[in-house]
Amino acid sequence: MTAIVEERRETIKEIVTDILELDPGEVTETSLFKEEHDADSLRAIEILAALEKTFNIVIDQSELSRMVNLRGVYEVVSDAAGW
Amino acid sequence: MRGEPGRRVVVTGLGAVSGIGIGAAEFLAGLRAGKSAAGPITAFDTEGFDRSTACEVKDFEPDRWIRNLDVRTLGRASRFSVAAARMAVADAGFPEPESALRDIPCLISVGTTDGESRDLDHLVEEEVDLGPERMDRTVARRVPAGRLSSAIAQEFGLTRAEAVTLPTACAAGNYAVGYGYDAIRGGDVDLALCGGADALCRKTFTGFYRLGTIAPERCQPFDKDRKGILTGEGAGILVLESLESALARGARIYAEVLGYGLNCDADHPVAPNQDSVVRCMRLALDDARVKPDEVDFISAHGTGTKANDITEARAIRRVFGDTAPPRTVSIKSMIGHSMGAAGALASIACSLALTEGFIPPTINHEHTDPNAVLTVCPTRPWQRT
Repeated sequence: MTAIVEERRETIKEIVTDILELDPGEVTETSLFKEEHDADSLRAIEILAALEKTFNIVIDQSELSRMVNLRGVYEVVSDAAGW
Repeated sequence: MRGEPGRRVVVTGLGAVSGIGIGAAEFLAGLRAGKSAAGPITAFDTEGFDRSTACEVKDFEPDRWIRNLDVRTLGRASRFSVAAARMAVADAGFPEPESALRDIPCLISVGTTDGESRDLDHLVEEEVDLGPERMDRTVARRVPAGRLSSAIAQEFGLTRAEAVTLPTACAAGNYAVGYGYDAIRGGDVDLALCGGADALCRKTFTGFYRLGTIAPERCQPFDKDRKGILTGEGAGILVLESLESALARGARIYAEVLGYGLNCDADHPVAPNQDSVVRCMRLALDDARVKPDEVDFISAHGTGTKANDITEARAIRRVFGDTAPPRTVSIKSMIGHSMGAAGALASIACSLALTEGFIPPTINHEHTDPNAVLTVCPTRPWQRT
């Protein structure tokens, strides 16, 4: 994995754990925000907004259904940013 | 010693500031015609937003109604509330100057979502652009939300008024009317000026925008193609007094307030809870001692969002039965979501509907959502023959 990819993943993880008020160690690539980390739809929108701002991208709200875990978020951000 | 508790409470004066008309007569004409207040936003720059439509109050001249206070000391929401109070007091037939009201025990309750957030928007802009020392002092003094109600007492020189601003957001207008009803019914006061006020602001537009709930062009309550709310603004103030007081002074009576219901579920910040909505409607019916089948029409919250309309329609059918729930209207289709003023303006619309024997239309309602089936009069008002 290249350094830049690693850095982006770290940034995304930081944003998510910060908003969900979680310890980074608690969240894995596939642990589910809603079911396992007690997130709700407003937190999901907060994550979406923070990602848009940080990466200067636009994410359609319909993408929220894919943003269920870190892997899903990374895919959505990659698609939106054209990485 | 005030009046005896358990008095009957009537509506004798209406003051409306809305995007479809200023004053009860214009507002009534707008409701009858199915007017729409939707248009391009002028309150703030919408650059960077994918939406730019709202329901603003146009051609509002505060000096026409505000006689005693310096208009510059009032934010836009307070200007709306004072103007609406002036209209309501005049509509109730109190002669000017209103010195006769000076010593009347009185309640002023005004509901709001944003208070003077419109001013806060500007102050923050100034702070960011020019620095905190350059923020406008006159504007800063207008910010406290208590001004929405206390300014009414000041404008009329009311010396025995309790002035409260109720910040319970989109339900606040209803809270304020309910409080006025209690105060008259319980014999605490002889006069209540109650309602709600809000001015369109960037903060609230942005919040709803971020949630994905702002419609592009129009508000379509209970329609299968509804796309969300349009933010709005305005004020509604109602004059409430006891039936005896209204009869003694020969006042015109628009309506009687029979009861109301309030509850709080604290279940989720934005998702409506159907069971809780059902409980709230039942509280109102029980308080009023009215049976569901005695209700002829419902003025709904009807915001035009996916979640609200489906939840509300289902709740209405739970309370009123699946076979023939009462005709339902959402005046937000015309005036947008005026936030704290919404419940007050809807109460005024209902008072006018009762007096005039008509039901306002729900404009932009074309194809009823099969999941939110209600009897909605789309374009023309229903008129009693």
